[in-house]
Amino acid sequence: MSNSHLFLPSGFIRTPLQNGLGRYIPQLQRITLKFCKSHGGSRGVRDFIESDLMEFAKTNPGTVVYLKPRRHRSPCMVAEYLNGEREYLSCHEFSRDEVHKWLSYMCTRSGIPVMRFRKYQHTDYPTIQGVWNPFTHQAPEINVAEFPHEVLSKPIDHGPTATEQLIEIFKKTQMEDPAK
Amino acid sequence: MRSGRVGTSLSGVTAVNAISKRNFKAHWVAPTLRELKRRKVIEEDRNGGQKIFHRSTFLEWNYDAEIFAFSNRLGEKFNDSSLRAALTHKSYIERETARLSDVGVESNLQFQDNEALAQKGGEIMSKFINGYLRAVFTQVPEELIRAMHDFLTSNSTLETVAKHIGLGDLMLCADFPCKTETYVKSFKAVVAALAESSGEEQARVFVQDLVVTQLYGQDVNELWNPVDPVGNLTAILKREGKAEPEFRLIRQSGSSSILAVYYVGVYSDKNFISEGAGESLEVAKEMAAREALKKLFHTEDSMRALPFGRQLKNIQSKIAQLENQPNVQLSEWI
Repeated sequence: MSNSHLFLPSGFIRTPLQNGLGRYIPQLQRITLKFCKSHGGSRGVRDFIESDLMEFAKTNPGTVVYLKPRRHRSPCMVAEYLNGEREYLSCHEFSRDEVHKWLSYMCTRSGIPVMRFRKYQHTDYPTIQGVWNPFTHQAPEINVAEFPHEVLSKPIDHGPTATEQLIEIFKKTQMEDPAK
Repeated sequence: MRSGRVGTSLSGVTAVNAISKRNFKAHWVAPTLRELKRRKVIEEDRNGGQKIFHRSTFLEWNYDAEIFAFSNRLGEKFNDSSLRAALTHKSYIERETARLSDVGVESNLQFQDNEALAQKGGEIMSKFINGYLRAVFTQVPEELIRAMHDFLTSNSTLETVAKHIGLGDLMLCADFPCKTETYVKSFKAVVAALAESSGEEQARVFVQDLVVTQLYGQDVNELWNPVDPVGNLTAILKREGKAEPEFRLIRQSGSSSILAVYYVGVYSDKNFISEGAGESLEVAKEMAAREALKKLFHTEDSMRALPFGRQLKNIQSKIAQLENQPNVQLSEWI
């Protein structure tokens, strides 16, 4: 229900350097795929490199892809972002599709750490007409009015009272009877 | 040496965010790691900060690939030689020649530094920024245009932009961690290299997309305010042929308390211009005059949103035209 039990930092949604306002700059700077050439846990990564990696590199020309074969080590990927943050993900015993999925996930991140969004929108201009204060919409006549005032002392938009409504109904019935 | 010490931690240099799976660690792992961290902190404090390494010292580094990715990331085409020159600093060339001559090798290094490019880039960037500001803020006096331009071309703004497009790893310079001036120079040189490679229109759009967008979220009235708003308002109304401004108290509350508030309205020939609030009558009067000037310059809080990106397609020619035409000065504003 509440979020206090989460060890996840929270914040408002933001983007580095007003990305998207002028042009969109893909935030993934470089991705390093580290894998073993023979161990079984790296099979998915090796299959991915053989089949889908070239397509990925072609569709993301703004990202440098580094391959680092390391013997006897489990595979992982390290993503570096333009704001200097790094993301590490172990790819041990991933399938080829899983590697592809997580790699495309890294492309969508901006390097801002994962956090709980307090609101899904953010604006730097929260008010256009101005924040309400007690003087908003007050008639200027109150400056020179003598209180108690006929109009200004009453609550605005009061509407007719029940007694007044009954009187109105009675008057209407009076008028509709021309025989009298 | 491409390593250094950093006293205060830079953002993201130490943090490595891991998408972790569930792990069960032995009982001795946590205490061991805690002790190692304690000793590491002591060592770092003694040595004056954490040791940081330039990205090029890593095994996985390919400068040509990085440059290729840099231009593609921005969606621009650069001449290879121009871009490399823009990223090379004089300090780097000096250090390399000194190093080679120390070893005894004759140095015929073909490097070109970015001094000239940075100079040119600074000029054309100022030109583009002024053009945009004058085209968008048509009614604003030249003093405020200059204040906005100075904010956009300030070292802190340009350094932020340079860092966030990835120049930190690409620059060839002797200082590490790189100084603010190095970042700013590289960025200006990159703008000049782009103008050389793809033409001035592309460079203009580049500056609009990366530098001018930093104006978003900034209250322009905080960048500059007239020194004597009442006097300025009187002079402007006189020049326009309107009546002298008359200040009247509109609202007041709590006049004998700390939280006193006075609303003063400005009227010209019984026509309401603006109102301002303050904790005393003098402050409220000045605020009212400022609001009146804001209304005249079209820089109120409720002003139109600034156009960016594709919204500038129709006014690019107007922007280019106004690059050399300064707005009216405050002393002559009408």
